[in-house]
Amino acid sequence: MTALTLSVNGVEVTRDVEPRTHLADFVRENLNLTGTHIGCEHGVCGACTMIVDGRPVRSCLSYAVSCAGADVRTLESFDNDPVVGLLRDAFSRHHALQCGYCTPGMLATAFDIVTRLPEADETRIREELSGNLCRCTGYVGIVAAIRDVLARGPHARTVEPVARGVSPRAVSGWTDATKVAAGDAATATFAVPVPERIDGGQTLSRSIPVPVSVERLWATLQDIETIARCLPGASIERINPDGSVEGAFAVAIGPMKARFAGTAQVAYDASSRSGTVRGAGGDGISRSRADGAIRFAAVAAGDDASRLDIDMTYKLSGPLAQFGRPVVVAHVVDRMLGEVAANLARVSEGGVATASAPIGGIGFVLGTVLAMLRQLLIKDGK
Amino acid sequence: MKPVRFDYAAAPDAATACSLLTQSVAAKPIAGGQSLGPMLNLRLVRPDALVDISRASDLRGVRDEGNAIVYGAAVTHAEIEDGAVPDATPGWLASVARRIAYRAVRNRGTIGGSLAHADPAADWVNVLTALDASVVLTRSLGTRTVALAEFFTGPFATVLAHDEIVTGVRVPKRGAAARWGYWKFCLKVGDFAKASAAVLIDPERGETRILLGAIEKPPILLSDASAILAGRMPLAAVVTDVAPHLSYDSHALHVAALRRAIALATASGEVAA
Repeated sequence: MTALTLSVNGVEVTRDVEPRTHLADFVRENLNLTGTHIGCEHGVCGACTMIVDGRPVRSCLSYAVSCAGADVRTLESFDNDPVVGLLRDAFSRHHALQCGYCTPGMLATAFDIVTRLPEADETRIREELSGNLCRCTGYVGIVAAIRDVLARGPHARTVEPVARGVSPRAVSGWTDATKVAAGDAATATFAVPVPERIDGGQTLSRSIPVPVSVERLWATLQDIETIARCLPGASIERINPDGSVEGAFAVAIGPMKARFAGTAQVAYDASSRSGTVRGAGGDGISRSRADGAIRFAAVAAGDDASRLDIDMTYKLSGPLAQFGRPVVVAHVVDRMLGEVAANLARVSEGGVATASAPIGGIGFVLGTVLAMLRQLLIKDGK
Repeated sequence: MKPVRFDYAAAPDAATACSLLTQSVAAKPIAGGQSLGPMLNLRLVRPDALVDISRASDLRGVRDEGNAIVYGAAVTHAEIEDGAVPDATPGWLASVARRIAYRAVRNRGTIGGSLAHADPAADWVNVLTALDASVVLTRSLGTRTVALAEFFTGPFATVLAHDEIVTGVRVPKRGAAARWGYWKFCLKVGDFAKASAAVLIDPERGETRILLGAIEKPPILLSDASAILAGRMPLAAVVTDVAPHLSYDSHALHVAALRRAIALATASGEVAA
């Protein structure tokens, strides 16, 4: 808990809050000011927009502790505000709301438009409203209401430059007590069923020459322990009697980190020197999921030369997929695939795999890849 | 969703921030939090602690160095949009700032935070690289300056060390003779760009720079900028050459972005409205 003092609707309040409490939760849960609505909670919908230091902000992306000393105004403080009074009246006359869920955020943004942009035309109003989503009205009424109020302006605006500093005395070191359990929770495993097929997945392929005989490459591909070392971020926890493998792979996409835990099933076809690994893993903390299938084959290319063909189909879902945009993920996976193929080739030649932890930045969705790769490692019981 | 529990400290200045980061390997700096915030709320980022640098006094100022302006890393997009800080260019930065996300985001999001986050589609990542800007990086051991062309190492990845923060952004001044074009394609106003390109023609400094951005990895400065401007190189081939990983649709959008940015910079010299 952190002691927090700020001004809410003109009244100074002091509360102990958890640092992770965002401003919308703070005013709703701690101060019982429920006029602020919470929609998406990750900065997309604009429902929680409120006025801080005279400016509209996303209160779900503003931790309360970061607003120490700020002047916060919620919808409740606008009862007697003349400009918001005009907006309220205009919203009613122009049918600018239906269910009303977006309205507190709409009013905060509208208040900013009519006080900051007295010359705004319809195009500019729509541009300024682009960060507030309404699923009922089609925006026509909202735009009309704002134009109506603009026509009655100009409206006074008082906004001071933001100059909230931090007192050096307020800084103490880290407290051990609040060091949390993210790490512990991350080790929990979640059983995820392995899908028969992956709909809508992306497929990437690699083909890499290996200067050893095809027999030797094939032998390498069947050695789980060796293959495991070729897969950055992958770990095997258990090989079950039915041939399925339980394990996890760590993924880092810039600041985003996930650990997909799950199962994989491996099948080999000795006659074609090929195999398939199917796996699925979940990251419980972010509720993200990865599904993957790898097909690999050792192909002869002369007496003492062969080729390793790998193709991988993967699919991410959940929040990680939302932020790891498809091309970024593909970029990372492709790089990973190249690394794994190179490692496998090197090991087949008797070399040592370049051990690598999940590569931050580049390592993004390695996870995905790893998932599949790791399955590569695994051998089924037959 | 709610973030995982984390410890929090607001730093009064950069030195304190670096010291706090040195003390915990699982601490992360946060400025406006408009990009990190969603990731925190979705638990894609799970730090043990956050060091809030948004109010650090030495990150909030602006310094005129004669031929360049150094913006404190915690200057917000809205402050640039509103002209609350001087513009190193003939209004280009303000024009770019106005089209970053939404006003409520611009009121908290910072120029330094955007660069440190290194989203390949972000406006400042591409625009400031095209303008030959550099970042001032500070850690307890000292300070270094890195050109943006060398700062980004991958999508969401930079050369920043764990206990190092962006403290300033140095943007070379551009005079009235300089020409500029920046064009981005977004599915929706305020959305991240699907494609972008920037063109700078500065006869006073003898610089011509063409940048291809929003390619899901660090932006690329095109060689042969003069030949491209002279129309001697087909744009589709240029894009294929430097970004062969783009899909058919994305490639087409990037060619369009390049064409539009060149037109903006070479026609009347007006900034994209």
